[in-house]
Amino acid sequence: MAEDLVLDTAIRDWVLIPLSLVMVLIGILRYFVSKLMRSSQLPTDPKIVKEGQIVVRARNLRASANFIPVKSFRNRRAYFSNELGLAGGVLVVVIVVVIEEEFGKLMENGLLHVPKGQAQNAQAQMFSDPNMAMDMMKKNLSMIIPQTLTFAWVNFFFSGFVAAKIPFPLTQRFRSMLQNGIDLSSVDVSYVSSRSWYFLNLFGLRGLFSLILGEENATDDTQRMMQMSGIGFDPSKSLSAEKDSLDIVQHEWALPKFEQRAEAVLRNLVK
Amino acid sequence: MVGAKEEVELNRLENQVDNGGSGVWEYLCLVSKLKIRRSDKVLKHGLSILNDPKKRSKLGPEEWTLYEQVAVAAMDCQCLDVAKDCIKALQKKFPESRRVGKLEGMLLEAKGLWEDAEKVYSSLLEDSPLDQVIHKRKISMAKAQGNISVAIEGLNKYLEIFMADHDAWRELAEIYVSLQLYKQAAFCYEELILCQPTVPLYHLAYADVLYTLGGSENLQIAKKYYAATIDLTGGKNTRALYGICLCTLALGQQTKGRNKEEKESSELHSLAATALEKDYKYRASDKLSLLTATLRNLKLQS
Repeated sequence: MAEDLVLDTAIRDWVLIPLSLVMVLIGILRYFVSKLMRSSQLPTDPKIVKEGQIVVRARNLRASANFIPVKSFRNRRAYFSNELGLAGGVLVVVIVVVIEEEFGKLMENGLLHVPKGQAQNAQAQMFSDPNMAMDMMKKNLSMIIPQTLTFAWVNFFFSGFVAAKIPFPLTQRFRSMLQNGIDLSSVDVSYVSSRSWYFLNLFGLRGLFSLILGEENATDDTQRMMQMSGIGFDPSKSLSAEKDSLDIVQHEWALPKFEQRAEAVLRNLVK
Repeated sequence: MVGAKEEVELNRLENQVDNGGSGVWEYLCLVSKLKIRRSDKVLKHGLSILNDPKKRSKLGPEEWTLYEQVAVAAMDCQCLDVAKDCIKALQKKFPESRRVGKLEGMLLEAKGLWEDAEKVYSSLLEDSPLDQVIHKRKISMAKAQGNISVAIEGLNKYLEIFMADHDAWRELAEIYVSLQLYKQAAFCYEELILCQPTVPLYHLAYADVLYTLGGSENLQIAKKYYAATIDLTGGKNTRALYGICLCTLALGQQTKGRNKEEKESSELHSLAATALEKDYKYRASDKLSLLTATLRNLKLQS
């Protein structure tokens, strides 16, 4: 039965090529629109900036701890990861936590110490910061609106017929992918319905976009998905991770070794 | 830090440009990339581009960064009229820009109108309280006016938030040294060593501070850091060599006659002294007699 289906060249001229073209143009348009709407992503909360800087400084301390004297290292470690031993005991006795007391404790704790409950969850943070929600909305809008519109357009004009044929046979499993919108089990799987062609374009044009718009400018849907889940990233987690690794650092002063090395250097020089 | 290779390239370009050759734009790009302060050259060559409409339009959007670069260089050379013209051009192109606002503040600073500059910076900070450059400008302004205590306060406040900024730590360390607050300076230098453990200058400065603080413990540590400097510079740092000698002498005076175990590392200072002698012989033979006299005074002459 496969040989019986002959596709009109008009389908190629009026469906296949226009559809692909429209998809490309819409992708480019979307890129420019999202560029227009992108707000500058400067962090505005000093607390967040500070947390990032604390992590960097603690990492420096961990990496080159051996270059400073033991005493200085201990002081710094205490400064970073001090924890009040009392905290547990206080919890048992005092059930109603007075806020001022809690604050006082905070001051004495190390920089990397994250008190319980202080760690905001991402959801709360998102709602507390209207900018972030706004940003996400903009991103979503620039992604969803054109997609729904083009989908509706394709559905309205081109639904329900075969638009192309791929030159090799495929198994039945590909039917749902290639023949979306046609409910005929007798058509060979290598025929592609117009709606499926739309989907193939939607996901397949990424490479083309990265060619046209430059590598990082590609409107990459999957990356965006990743970003969205990335918003759930919690800075307090990296703080406590840094604290843990700082706690187990063994300090071994490297400078005594340098004395011997300097001697060797000088001996070479004098010779 | 400028690498040796880049410096050679820079000097080559500078020579070429000074002699009227091409490559002016490349030279200016390199200067701004390496963050080198050669304001007179930048001013001269940058203006030669800016005053030529054909060359200027060839730069495209880079034109405006050049305006900025030349403006800063002009302020450095006290050519305030040139700076003013540049800033005006930028203002016309980018009204309400924070970057241009910074330049305006700097121009006011260059004119010595501290209060006006302060006002400009404060209003800029209201918009973006986390702009590092503006914070730094305010601090340097306090320093320029001689309000060292204000500068220290500002730096401390700045470092509370941006604690990974090693330039700020360095500035604070130098201010503390100038005020003879050596303990605080030592802390800052430790921080710098943590940031960049392979920069010998920080080791050297830390050792200097410790030596100045004195006390046998500090002296021992200072000696070790001088040794580290020697190791990192390949023995080419004269100050570190002198430092070793002085530390050994001071330690010897402190532990006179009761400590024999120090003898084991005594070779280091005699080596340092020999290295110094060799260096002087090679580079400044007329001052060699001074050196031998000094070393004899230090009882290090072998």
